This record gives sequence, structure tokens and C-alpha cells, in this order.
Amino acid sequence: MAVKGFNAFEMAQKQFDAVADLLELDQPTRDLLRTPLREYHFSIPVRMDDGSVRVFRGFRCQHNDARGPCKGGIRFHPQETIDTVRALSMWMTWKCSVVDIPLGGGKGGVICDPHDLSQREQERLCRGWMRVLAHDVGPLRDVPAPDVMTNPQHMLWMLDEYETIHGAKYPGFITGKPVGMGGSLGRTEATGYGVIFTLREALKELGIKIESTVAAVQGFGNVAQYAIKLYTQLGGKVIAVACWDQNDQASYTYRKKSGIKLEELLAITDRFGGIDKAKAESLDYERLPGDAWIEQDVDILLPAALENQINGETVKRIGPKVKVIVEGANGPTTPDADAVIKSRGIFVIPDFLANAGGVTCSYFEQVQCNMNFFWTKEEVLSKLDDKMTAAFKAVSELARTRKLYMRDAAYVISVSRVANACKDRGWV
Amino acid sequence: MTNPRTPTTVDTLFSTLHERAKELNCLYRIEEILSIYDVPLEEVFRQVIEALPPGWQYPECCQAQITYGTDVYETPDYEETPYVHCAEIRVQDAAVGRLCVSYKKPTPESDCGPFMKGEIKLIHSIAERLGHFILHQRLRGMYEQISDQRREAGGGRRSWRIALDLLRNTNPTLLLRVSRKMMNYLGWRGVPEARDLLQRFSGAGVADGLFGESNLPQTRESLDRFVQLTEETFRIASANLTDDEVFDRIQKWINEDRSRESVRALENVYAGLPEVLDSMRRVKILAPEGIELPRSLANSVRVALIRRFFTEQLEFINVAKKYVDIEDFFDLSEKIVFPPGSHGKLGGKSAGLFLAGRVLAQAARRTKAIGTVKRPKTWYVTSDGLIAFTSYNNLDDVHEQKYKDIEIVRQEYPHLVQVFKNSTFPPEIVKGLSVALDDFGDVPLIVRSSSLLEDRLGTAFAGKYKSLFLANQGDKQQRLEALLDAVAEVYASIFSPDPIQYRAERGLLDFYEEMGIMIQEVVGTRVGKYFFPAYAGVAFSRNEFRWSPRVRREDGLLRLVPGLGTRAVDRVSDDYPVLVSPGQPNLRVNVSTDEVVRYSPKRIDVIDLEENTFMTRDLSEVLREVGRDFPALTKVFSVYKDGLLQRPMGLATDWTSSEAVATFDGLISASPFMPQLEAILKTLSAAMGVPVDIEFASTGTEFYLLQCRAQSQAAEDVAMEIPANLPDEAVLFTALKHVPNGRVADITHIVYVDPDRYGDLASFADLVAVGQAVGKLNKLLPRRQFILMGPGRWGSRGDIKLGVRVTYSEINNSAMLIEVARKKGNYVPDVSFGTHFFQDLVESGIRYLPLYPDDEGVRFNQKFLDAAPNRLAEHCPECAGLADALRVIDVPEATGGRVLRVVMNADQGAAVGYFAPPEAVVRTAGAGAAAVGRGDEDPQRWRLRMAERLAYHCGTQKWEVRGVYYVEPSDGDEADPASPLRLVIHVLGGARQRKELETWLQGWSLSLAEMNYFRTGFHSDGLLDVRFLTDERVHGEKDVAARINALSNAVHELPLRPRIP
Repeated sequence: MAVKGFNAFEMAQKQFDAVADLLELDQPTRDLLRTPLREYHFSIPVRMDDGSVRVFRGFRCQHNDARGPCKGGIRFHPQETIDTVRALSMWMTWKCSVVDIPLGGGKGGVICDPHDLSQREQERLCRGWMRVLAHDVGPLRDVPAPDVMTNPQHMLWMLDEYETIHGAKYPGFITGKPVGMGGSLGRTEATGYGVIFTLREALKELGIKIESTVAAVQGFGNVAQYAIKLYTQLGGKVIAVACWDQNDQASYTYRKKSGIKLEELLAITDRFGGIDKAKAESLDYERLPGDAWIEQDVDILLPAALENQINGETVKRIGPKVKVIVEGANGPTTPDADAVIKSRGIFVIPDFLANAGGVTCSYFEQVQCNMNFFWTKEEVLSKLDDKMTAAFKAVSELARTRKLYMRDAAYVISVSRVANACKDRGWV
Repeated sequence: MTNPRTPTTVDTLFSTLHERAKELNCLYRIEEILSIYDVPLEEVFRQVIEALPPGWQYPECCQAQITYGTDVYETPDYEETPYVHCAEIRVQDAAVGRLCVSYKKPTPESDCGPFMKGEIKLIHSIAERLGHFILHQRLRGMYEQISDQRREAGGGRRSWRIALDLLRNTNPTLLLRVSRKMMNYLGWRGVPEARDLLQRFSGAGVADGLFGESNLPQTRESLDRFVQLTEETFRIASANLTDDEVFDRIQKWINEDRSRESVRALENVYAGLPEVLDSMRRVKILAPEGIELPRSLANSVRVALIRRFFTEQLEFINVAKKYVDIEDFFDLSEKIVFPPGSHGKLGGKSAGLFLAGRVLAQAARRTKAIGTVKRPKTWYVTSDGLIAFTSYNNLDDVHEQKYKDIEIVRQEYPHLVQVFKNSTFPPEIVKGLSVALDDFGDVPLIVRSSSLLEDRLGTAFAGKYKSLFLANQGDKQQRLEALLDAVAEVYASIFSPDPIQYRAERGLLDFYEEMGIMIQEVVGTRVGKYFFPAYAGVAFSRNEFRWSPRVRREDGLLRLVPGLGTRAVDRVSDDYPVLVSPGQPNLRVNVSTDEVVRYSPKRIDVIDLEENTFMTRDLSEVLREVGRDFPALTKVFSVYKDGLLQRPMGLATDWTSSEAVATFDGLISASPFMPQLEAILKTLSAAMGVPVDIEFASTGTEFYLLQCRAQSQAAEDVAMEIPANLPDEAVLFTALKHVPNGRVADITHIVYVDPDRYGDLASFADLVAVGQAVGKLNKLLPRRQFILMGPGRWGSRGDIKLGVRVTYSEINNSAMLIEVARKKGNYVPDVSFGTHFFQDLVESGIRYLPLYPDDEGVRFNQKFLDAAPNRLAEHCPECAGLADALRVIDVPEATGGRVLRVVMNADQGAAVGYFAPPEAVVRTAGAGAAAVGRGDEDPQRWRLRMAERLAYHCGTQKWEVRGVYYVEPSDGDEADPASPLRLVIHVLGGARQRKELETWLQGWSLSLAEMNYFRTGFHSDGLLDVRFLTDERVHGEKDVAARINALSNAVHELPLRPRIP
């Protein structure tokens, strides 16, 4: 809508162009990958609780399905724009490709504010969305999942409508379902564990024993908690954790130089990863300012909270010992910080590789649903390990052989896989 | 319990209480006997005789005797002794018998011979009760006879004649009154003969003595005339009315007459509370089937009772008299504790609840949705209990407290609480509370204030006075002491700084504040060692915090919590109540699972019966402890699993291991609760004629109303008058859509994110940086004195271009959040209504307003926002790069000393933000009111306030001061803590008086300098700069200004206390 200023889709295209240059992609391939293959724009009339009708605007972008069915969330947002959806669908294509799962990229949304809608109205909206698209999505075409302001409940309504229309059961059509309704075990652990699988492989390649490493973590939510769990199981020591304090509306870093104990911290942590300040202090944790995690004397930094945390300013405070930064959060590092990190020779495991455990587990959910047979948690996690390890190795090998920065290598590998698939199919 | 009372006092108290209990038992037994009307009189007398001795101090040698006419009833082996006390049994002022109690042998000397005071009183009360009983038996007999005869007479033909005969024989006075009424009735009906009759019989002699209330024997001559009157009246009646009609009239009047007598005392405004209660008891006894009064009389009694028990306020009386019956006061009257000779009232909270209960009971017959609304068992201490308490303890000085300086009030308050808690209560109150405790048993109690000021229609002291919970466990003595302790503490709260300041601000300081006490059973159930209701909360009939344009103001607002409602009433910083709009229960504040979980209540207030105390616990811990026993479990909680919140399904849920979230989903969407609440709010606000708020609690099955009053509004939430005719350059913006009530005053800074330029920012990093810069400004700018204005949705996680990405912590110091929705082509973007941190805004009182600058009739001063100097770089040098999109405007700088004020009026749906001088001190009539102020107030405001006090006292002295004028400081001095307080005093006294005045002023000057030092840290040798005018005449402020060479509007005349001649 806006012609000037920041545009998420333009940014995604620019990023692609840069990688395409590295890959020296031909023009038709560039043209094909710069924009989504298919876009659906449609209206969804919804009967409101008071009897009136409101019409909502819905979208679905299928960016590329050369490697397999499209995969991506459905967002409910009052300020949804098609450009955001386009950009996000493209990023999904790269994300699936970097961990080498046979899926393409998609994204969808509806312009609406769920705060203005009752549950019943939301249900009708979900079913309405599905009635429009029932023949253009499906377990073998395009697989949705929950995203911004949508939850498993919305997905179940949509799945139910889809199955009603097609007259059969297709649990593999949607992921992010609750366990017992076709959801996969291991989902909670997947992202955090995935982060550490890649870290383990990185340390191996760098010739560092994980047992001798010390780490500082930003964030204490689901991802950070499971990452710390696996990392300490493997012998590593976390000495600092930064988290948000809801009461003080501020963040703090909790430090214990002898190594934090995950279980004792979990016992004093709320549902949102907030650690009880007083109790932590009584357990002999030092309470430091929220951004102190970054300047700790550690080997590994694991930002697993918000974006833009390592920026032009904070990057200067990174300790001299730091060897690896593994990005658990989305976009924790700004481009100017990246330049510094690159020059200091710190090894970075980029976000869309490091935190791809989540999307991999969604893929596993789909696989299990399609064969209607469900694995144990151990099985899920061991398959996750295989996938993440392989993905990491491929990226790092490319980085090493082509002397690329890890972030660039990850993009290069994912775009090249998609481009190859398009070529193999004879599209370009 | 913290009150160490001496054992001797307590021992005496308990032995007195023991005797009192015996007397009461005796009285109760007698009441029980006399409550059965079918028993023949002889049997009743026999039972009463038996019941009497155990009530006396020495029951083993106590005997009793009743003489009625010629019959005598007595205890076995009754013997005449000199140790006797007798009381007459009187019916309609004639002695019909005698009740005697005596001892067979001498006993130790007591108050009156062998008897105690209480015992003497008891004999008389019982004799009086017997008299009433006999009267009632007689009247009832008569009434039944008439009905029987009427039935026998088949269709009533002539049966009224039998009734008249009967009256003639049993109660000639009543016959006369009935005849007179019939005469009047016929007259009104326009029967010509009746008019003649009326004229003949309305002669002075007849009217005076005969139709009045006198029961004196009449002269024979008159009697003849009555007989004649009766005969003639009923002859005319039978000629003009049907037999049934005549009979119905007679019956009605007999009934009314029976009631009239008894309610007479209730109407007496000057009667003390004990007398009123006594008459009520009598009414109840005399008219057990309900009283029948003519409408006018019923109305007047009703109003008299409302006034007596509750308030003189006409608004309240007007509403209450429509809903309240005389009988409704009976229950109330039995649960009142009062000092001797009380003229006290029960207070606002009691009144509101009582009235609401009646309104709902009536409306429930028509509106099924209201269902059953209960009120918890309640005892009351009358408002003069406080006076009795303070004077009993010689604490009368405490009533001066409100005129002291607020800082002093604040300092002294903790000591005052201790003094109160260590004082003793007058014995009558102790006795009364002891009886109340017996009535309650050991259920937890809440002691609440019910002041005469509190909760009046129009002023609501939301939570200004104390309410205290008592677990009420342990033996009687412990429980009584805890109760007394709590009452003392609530009494003390009337003298605490907050209410005093609040009253000062509203000009209510001089109102003679009395405080009633309400002692209520806490609604709840015992679960494990805890006691709490399933859920409780407050509900408002007007919703001033709408989170969606679909929620209307009249849809109401509900704040709901599990357990005791304290957490819903007060804003607590670390927790959230569930917010629902009863008119739109499906439009929830929080939608995503994350939001719902984040903003769900995490803690619960309970009474711990083992610890004997009120406490706050983690909800999850309590749930783990009590598991399935948590009342209304499935209505309160949802189960969180895999990102999904589900209503629990009966037995399938393991509560000790599941992750439960208090969503109230079951209650809101699968029970009749929301329609019930909506109906209650609508009914109450319609009846009261104003928006209301209520407090309630539910055991899970039963709904209890705990409080009802005119909707309270924080000072900042009142509907503001929108100033008219503001010039364009003084207006920053106006709004006509989605406007709440309230005001935001004295804004010194505007943080403005220009929607267009923000949208033009090319890099994602810059867009993020704007949010971060706002976060920095939030910490740098003066707290609550800046507002944020920006495009679309503050805090949105969606397209960053359409709203600045901030978290709550990055805006939490602002006073107001404004979302500007500028038209883009044909499209106006949505605003968020602050949904991203809606509950945080509500709980912290940050106001929200959406603006639609492109709507018709809306003003938006883009020119000012563009042209005012941008102070971003000064405040935040590292943000300077964003100066194009982000502007920080120093309002006084840009407007020549003015500040921004936003006033909003939801009734008119209009708001305006305009530039105005900083708020001047509110001038109140009495200097007393102005004497109170805030510790952090503006230096000039403080100066003016001090000047007012000084002026007030000046007038009382004999210095011939004719006027005191306050001179505003010149512009440069305004903020200077050292600037003197300039006064001009017009004085006519002689040299000696002048000298005295100067000395007095010197004292003030030094004191003020000292105070100024404490306030500002600035030393000076005196703060006053006084000029005297000694001319005979001074012509007001302008004249003074001219004489001292000041600006004409810089001089203000201050009120003097009128000199006592």
C-alpha cells in the first residue's frame, strides 16, 4: 500500500538478489524465485453473532513448491498486507530448504482483529477461509500451521472444515495440532534441542570439547530452557541467563559462576520464562543488568529472546573468549554487528539454521499423520538430531570450502537447492 | 488480639454477659411462647410462669405469679414474701392484670432490693409483652368472628351488621372511628345525605374529643350522639353501597386501625433508636400477618424509616421509597448494635446494599435472568458508635485531625491507630457485638466501614476507608477481642490521610463524618484449611475501558477473580483480573492463548482458617493443595495443553498435574452468569437512575451481592465538560469517536511519531529504532507528564510500518497513549484500542484515545506538531538521527508557558486536547479545606495555599484587618524556590495593633521559611514579603494592583474568617 519506506517483501527480494548474485543464477530462475508462484486473494463473508454480515479479506501465498508441498502459517492480523505475506512465504521456502526437508514455502492470513471477534465468529471465519481454499491447499499441496494470533483451536476448525469438504480424514493437512489430535511428541523440545545439535557439530568442527565450554544465554523461555537442558547434559556449563521481569518491567541477568542449575531455576520460573528475583537471589544467583549476559567471560553466546539484541553498540562488549554465537532467536544480530563479528572471526550459527528444529518437527508431524502412525518422543528427537546435524554439516562445509560467512552460506545452500529443484523439473 | 485487656475487666465483663445471657434466654423463651397465637390464654400464662424463674439470678428460690381479671396463675408452692417486684399488665392503657416475681427467702442486696436492674426491666418488658399478646388475641378473635360470620351469612348479606354489633360490644372507640371513616367515604362518593351528615357532625365538640385518639370515658350525652352517628351513617351506606362493599370497607378499616396504632412511634423523627426498634418489635408482634396501612401512612412510615436508618438524602429516599416495605426493616432491626440513646444511622454502604437487595427482589419477579440474589448475613453498628467510642476513651480531640496539615495527619496516623486499638469500647457496644458473634458463629467475617459520606449517590469513596477480614476462629473471648480490634482499626481509618485529603479536595471536610460499621459474613466455603468464594469481583454498569469498537459503554465491565474479591477491587501491580463486558461476553480482551494465559489471575486471596488470617497465595499452589475441591472448578479454570486452552471435562482432568489457567471460560460462556449479571446491572442502574457499580461473590452455586453504589470514578475518570469556543491555535486535537471519560492534565511533553514520515523510513532497523527511542524517552521524560502520539497500532507485532513496535515497559511512564488513524487514499487504518497491553494500561491508569484527523468536524493541529521545536536531540542525543519521524515537543516552550490538557466526555462522545495555563489551585469556600494539599505540589500552589491559611487566621484577630491580597510572582520567579510569598494587607488598626500584627506575621514568615526548607531544601530568613495599606478605603484587587505597581490580574483577594463581634 505504501509506496515509500520500508517494505518487507522488497527487503526479502533484495536479500535473494544478493544470494542470486553469489550463485550467479540465470534470469528466468531469478524471476521465478523473486515472486510467489501463486497468490490467492479472496473475500470471506462471515455472519456475525448479532446477525449482521462482515466481509474479511484473506490471502494465501504459495511461494515455491518445487521441493514439495508448501508449508507455512496462517496469521490473523488487522494490518496484514500482501507484501508481508509474500515476504514471509519466501522466507519459509529458504527455511525448509536449509534443513533439507522436502517442503516448499507458503504463508497466509486474514485482515482481522481477533480482539473484535467472538470465538464463534472466529470459528466461522476459519471455516470460511477453508471453504474458499479447500481445493487449492491440502496435505500434498500446501500445509498450514498456527502463526500470529492463531492457535491450535483455529487449526482444528480449519482441518475439520477441510475434511468435511473432502469427505475423508487428512490429519497431515495441518500441523501444530495438539498431541492426541495428530500432533507430534517432542515438539516442545524440538527448537531448543535443534539449537544445541548444531552447536555440538560446530564445536566438533572447531575442535573444542563441549565439556570445557562455558555459555551465557539470553532468554529463559521454551527455546532457551531446552537448549540449556541439552547443553548441560552434554557437559557444557551455563553461567548466566538473562530474562524479563514482568513486575519490574526490566530484564536482568542472573549469574552463577559455578554454573546455573536448570532444575532449581525452573522451579522459580513463571510460564513466560520470568525468574523470581528474590528467590533467585536467595539461591545465590548474582543479579546483574539485563544486558550483562553479552559481556560475560564465556565461550558461547546463545541469544534466545528478541531480535536486534546484538547490535552496533552491544557487539563491542562481547568478551574476548567468545568463539561461537548460536542464534536461537529470530534475527538477534543486526548487519552492522555482523560485520564486527565476522572481523573478529567468531563462528556464527545463523538463526534460520539454528532454530529450524521447530519446522523440522512440523514436517515430522506431517509425516506421522500421513502414515497415521506415531513415533515415540525419543524417535522424533533422534530423527531431529539426524536432520539438524546433516543440515549443519552441509552449510558449514559450503562455508569452509567457499570461504563464506556462515549466514551467507546458509542462504546460498537453501536457495541453490530450490533453484536446482526448479531446474530438475524443467521449469527454468 | 494485639490488645491486652486487663483480666479483671474481662472477668467482670463475662460475668455480666453471663447474667445478660440468662435474661435473654428467658426473654427468648417468652417470645417463643407468645409467638403461637392458637394457644388459649390460660395455657400461655402457665407456660410463662414456668419460664420465668430460670432467668433470675437465684432461680432455685425464685417464684412467679400472674393475675388476670379474677384468675391467678403461679409457680407451685407460691408464697407471699416481701422480696417481690410486680408490674401491671395493661391493654389499651387499662390495667387488666399483674405480673409478680419474688424470692422465697432473702438474697444478697442488689441494684433494687434483691433484684438487678436488668431483672426489673425484664419484669416490665414481659408484662408489656403479655399486654400486647392479650390485645392481639382480642383483636384477632374479633377479626376471625367477623370473617366467620361473613362466611356463614353466605354472600355477605347483612353480615356487616353483625360485625358492627360485635364492634359495639367489644371496642366502641373503634366503632366510632369506623363510622366516621364511612361517613367521609360516603361524602367523597358524593352521596348527598352523607354530606348533610358530615356537616352536622363536624361540630367542634364532637371532632375534638370523640374522634381523636383519646380513650377517656365519654360523657353520656356524646355517647348518644355517636350511636346516632353510627346508625345514620350505616343507614345511608346500606342505601348507597352494596353489602359486600360495606363489609369490605369495615374489614379494611379495622385492619388498618390495628396497624396504625403500632406504627405511630416509627414516624417520630425525634425518637431515639432504642424506641424505634422497640416499636418495630411491637408492630411485628401485633401484626404477624403483615401490617395494612392506608397508602399515605404507609408511605410516610416508610420514608420515616429510611430516613431514620439510612439517610436524609432526598435522591436516595425518592428511589428507596418505591422499593422498600416496612416489613423489610424488621430483619434489619434485629441486627443493630448501638450506644445508649443512639440517634445514629447505618451509613451509605449498608443503605446501598439494602436498597439494591430490595430492587432486585422486586425485579426478579419480572426478569427471570436476575435469578436469586442473596445478601450475606450482616450486623450493623450505628454511626454514632464512633462518637460513643471516642468520648468513652476521651479521644474527642481526634475529630480535629481533619483540619491539620496533611503531612502531620500522615505522621500521626500510625500512632492514632495504636491508640484506637488500645482503647476500650462502651459496654453496650461490647454486649451488642458479643450477641452478633453468637449469631454468626465462627464463620469468617469482614468488618467494613459504612460511613455517612461513603457511597452517597454522587460521591463514592472507593476503598478510602478500611475493610478488614477476620478469620474468626478460636474461643469466644479471642474472637470477640479480634472483632473489637478490627472495629477500632476501621474507626481509625476515618482519620487516615487519604480520606481526609480526598474529602478536602471535594469540599466535604466540614461534613460531620460519622461512620457506621457493617459486619458481614464472608461469602465462601471451607476448602481444606482455606475459606474463600469460588469467584468474586466488581461490575460496572458503564464500561469506561472499551477494548473494541464493538463494545459499547452500556455493555458494562466486569473484573473477575477467583477467591476473595479484594484483588478485583484494587488494582494490584503484579496480577490481573479477568475483564469481561457483560453485554458482549464473547468479545474478550485477550484472544491469543498467550495473552489469555499472561493476563489471567495468578494469585488468590483467601482466609487461612488454621493460621487464623487473611492471606494471598499462588493460585496454582492452592489448586495443587485442594485439587478437585476447589469450588466451581470447571467454571473457573481452563486446562492449558499444547497451546490450547480447553474447558475441563469433569473427571477426566487431573488437577494436581494439569496446567490450569483461571479463564472463567466455563462461567462466561457456559453458564447463565453473564446474562444474570447484565440483568442485575441494568435493573440497578435503571432503578437508581445513575450508573452503578457492584461488588459480588459466589460460592459457585449462590450469588451474593456485597455492595452497590453509584458508579465510582477515580478523579481522573469523571466525565469532563468540553470547553466550547476554543480558538484554533489553542487546540491540539479533537476526537468524536470511541471517547472514554476523563482528563489528563498538565502535560509538558508530547512525543509525536509522524505517521507519514514514519511510514517513509526505508530500513527496518530505523523503524525498530523509533520504538527503542520511545522506550528511552519513556525513561527520560517526566513521569505521567508526557503523552505518546503515533500512527495506528502502538505495540503491534504486525507490519511494523503501521505501528511503532514498543513493549509496555517502553511506554509505562506516559500519561496517555494516542493512536492517530490518518486516511490513506480511501482507507482509514484500524487502531488497536491499546489491545497489545490493554490490561496493563487499565491497571496502571494510562489513558488511551484514538484520533481520526480526517473525519469531518475533527480538528488536528498538524501545523503545531510540525512547527514546534523538536527537542529530541537534547533529551536523547543518540536518537537524533530519527528527528524526522520522531518529535519531542516541550509544550510550555512551544506555547509560551502553557501545558496540554486533554478532557474527554464519553456522554457527549467528544474529547479535546488544548493548551491551557497549568492548573490553578481549586479555591474552596473554607480555608480549612484549602489547608490540605499534596506533599509534592507545585511551589506556587503551596504558597497560595499558605497565604489562604494566613489570611483566614488574620481575620480572627483584633487587628482590624480588612483585606489580605496575594500577589502572584513575576514570570522569572515562578519556579524559584526562594521567591518570597508576597502579600498586601489592608489594615486599619492603631500602632499597637499594627505592632502585634507585625510580630504575628514575623512568626508566620519564619515558620513558612522552615517549611519551605523542608520542601525544597532552600534556606531563607523569612518567606513573607508584606506591604500594608492603611487607607480608609481600598477598592478591590485592581486597586491594590495599581497601588503596588503590579499587573492587574496578578493580585487575588483572599477570604478572611469573619471577625467574631
